[in-house]
Amino acid sequence: MSYTPKHIFFKALWEENPVFRQVLGICSTLAVTNLLANTLFMCFGVIFTTALSSFVISLLRNFIPKRIRMIVQVLIIASFVMMVDILIKALAPDIHRFIGPYVGLIITNCIIMGRAEAFAAQNKPLVSLIDGFASGIGYSLILIVIACIREPLGFGTFLGYQLPAKELWWHQWTIMVMPPGAFFMLAVVTWFARAYSTKTEVKK
Amino acid sequence: MKKDSTPYVIGFMIVLCIVFGAAVSSVHFVTSPILKRNEQAYKYRIISEAFALSPPDTKVTSYEETVNESLTLDTLIKGNHTFEVYAGKDGHTVGFIFRGTGFWDQITGIIVLSPDLSTVRNIRFLSQKETPGLGARIEERSFTDQFDGLTIDWNLPVEERIIIDVCDNRDKRNCVNAITGATQTSVALMKILNSELELFRKAYRKIKS
Repeated sequence: MSYTPKHIFFKALWEENPVFRQVLGICSTLAVTNLLANTLFMCFGVIFTTALSSFVISLLRNFIPKRIRMIVQVLIIASFVMMVDILIKALAPDIHRFIGPYVGLIITNCIIMGRAEAFAAQNKPLVSLIDGFASGIGYSLILIVIACIREPLGFGTFLGYQLPAKELWWHQWTIMVMPPGAFFMLAVVTWFARAYSTKTEVKK
Repeated sequence: MKKDSTPYVIGFMIVLCIVFGAAVSSVHFVTSPILKRNEQAYKYRIISEAFALSPPDTKVTSYEETVNESLTLDTLIKGNHTFEVYAGKDGHTVGFIFRGTGFWDQITGIIVLSPDLSTVRNIRFLSQKETPGLGARIEERSFTDQFDGLTIDWNLPVEERIIIDVCDNRDKRNCVNAITGATQTSVALMKILNSELELFRKAYRKIKS
């Protein structure tokens, strides 16, 4: 059964969301979501790398020997991530100061390997590009929601700006700054997303 | 040749490594001069900010010219420690580059003081590799601005001259609030600043006397 590009896009975005459905990319979800700005930069990096890696792996899919396909995928992903890192460092050094440590972590993000192995290795380049792009967007949506809760509660800021009249009402939730807070928020967001997702599937 | 045969696998990997290795190397080679220039530009910019200098615009050359016009650069040696010392030509400020081991890796920055070394004017960071979102936040203005006006009492033990901790029940004249969730970075930075200040003071007094 072949799917249209539109169907592939929305499937990767929601039905097969990499974070709350496939439970992929959890490490970076926990690590970067204490600050919204860091989250956004990480999301851009993942979207770009997932889409491009899926595209190239799909282009080479008929030439890659089966027994070394994962090594090949990691090599391609790592190469793209390194090139992105060097280019950002050269062309946007101030942005690189924020996201530099995260860019290298993209290599280990299992969403990229997961989509390469599950989709790009078996499908045509254009739809693989769409699938990679949509998976990155789906990952970003969940991370942004978590960061929008963790940063205000943990630091009293939103995108680095202090919350209004903070001294009158705000109390710090230190746990939101720490990894346990990330675990709790990820679990809560996953719970809501799956409950809503199941409800809409039942209605259909 | 079959796709799963050993010669094909080896040949394919060699070709792939050459192609992608060449791509990454090319990008690095092409951007290498830009990276060096960026590093130098960033250093001048940070020094300008630390000394509250006002270049006419944000061009790289403007920062460099402003630093060279407004500050003098000297080298102070104390034992096997070398200090890069910047001093305002108006005689109102003196600063030096400090280095030390943070929680994960080296932290490098510049601290600017009054000429009698009793007050901190400013602090900025040149490089650090602390935990993003936690220790790395030492670069943010909300943290560095706390150092402005900090008093250094040289009669206190070395480890108590600058405190980076919870300041609620401490003397706020020499205390800076640590970053929540970055205790180890805060403790490491406190040790770096106190030990570097002590060494610098000994070297600075020697040349001033």
